[in-house]
Amino acid sequence: MSDFVEQCRREWKRLGVPDQLAEEMAADLASDLGEAEAEGVSAEELLGSSAFDPRSFAASWAAERGVIPAPPDRGRGRRRRPRVLVAFTVLAALTLVVAALLLLTGEPKVSLVTTKSHTPPAPGSFVPPTVQRQVLHTNNASAPVEWILLFLATVALGFALWLWANWSRSRPPAATA
Amino acid sequence: MAPATQRRTELLRGVLDLCLLAVMDEGPAYGYEMTKRLRERGLAIVGEGSIYPLLGRLERDGLVETYRAASDGGPPRKYYRPSSAGRLALAMGVSEWRAARDAVDAVLAPVKVEVVV
Repeated sequence: MSDFVEQCRREWKRLGVPDQLAEEMAADLASDLGEAEAEGVSAEELLGSSAFDPRSFAASWAAERGVIPAPPDRGRGRRRRPRVLVAFTVLAALTLVVAALLLLTGEPKVSLVTTKSHTPPAPGSFVPPTVQRQVLHTNNASAPVEWILLFLATVALGFALWLWANWSRSRPPAATA
Repeated sequence: MAPATQRRTELLRGVLDLCLLAVMDEGPAYGYEMTKRLRERGLAIVGEGSIYPLLGRLERDGLVETYRAASDGGPPRKYYRPSSAGRLALAMGVSEWRAARDAVDAVLAPVKVEVVV
């Protein structure tokens, strides 16, 4: 019986039950089990089938008492996560399609180009020899935004596929008959 | 678990909180003492019906009050008694139980049981 209490105590410690509370629960349980044993009552008569599973018993008691967080509703999390994933995947796929269509239907419409300023310096003022700046420029294919979109969408789609693969692995195995 | 034991466990699970509130309403009691009171009335703990998690829930929900006191010649024990909210829950629960019991009886009463050995 003391072994049962000891296993409960270890489980409460593992679950983060405050020491004082765990000691109190262990002392109450030990007293009850001791009294039952003295009266010829088995642990099973006192604890039901929990007498064979001290860890579950300890976790259940602590959770019901509210001294550890209740087990998360894993099912709800799994239902919610695919909705976010679906939205992310659809967005990435749409971006990919739009970028591809823009590239296939003609010249890129918008691009990033680097320009150099050649404004002559005013007399007596210091100006760096060249000033570089990036501007949006039309009808220039040196760094088209479409290509950047295509690249980002491909990366996002790859990330989405990786998330889907992880989610599939984390699902519980199907119940067997 | 045998079918009969499983059914008994399921039935007990729905009303064990009421039974605990009822036996501690007769007088403050600690865990094992409540088990003894239940057993004296033929209600043995079976299956997964441990009272300790249930006592924890009753305490968390404010349906019981607790205090520590020395037992007869033994170590100090944690005694439970229904709070005012617990007594209200007991009264409502008993009413629900009686209504359910009467309805089930009305269905099952005409059944004639014959056991052929």
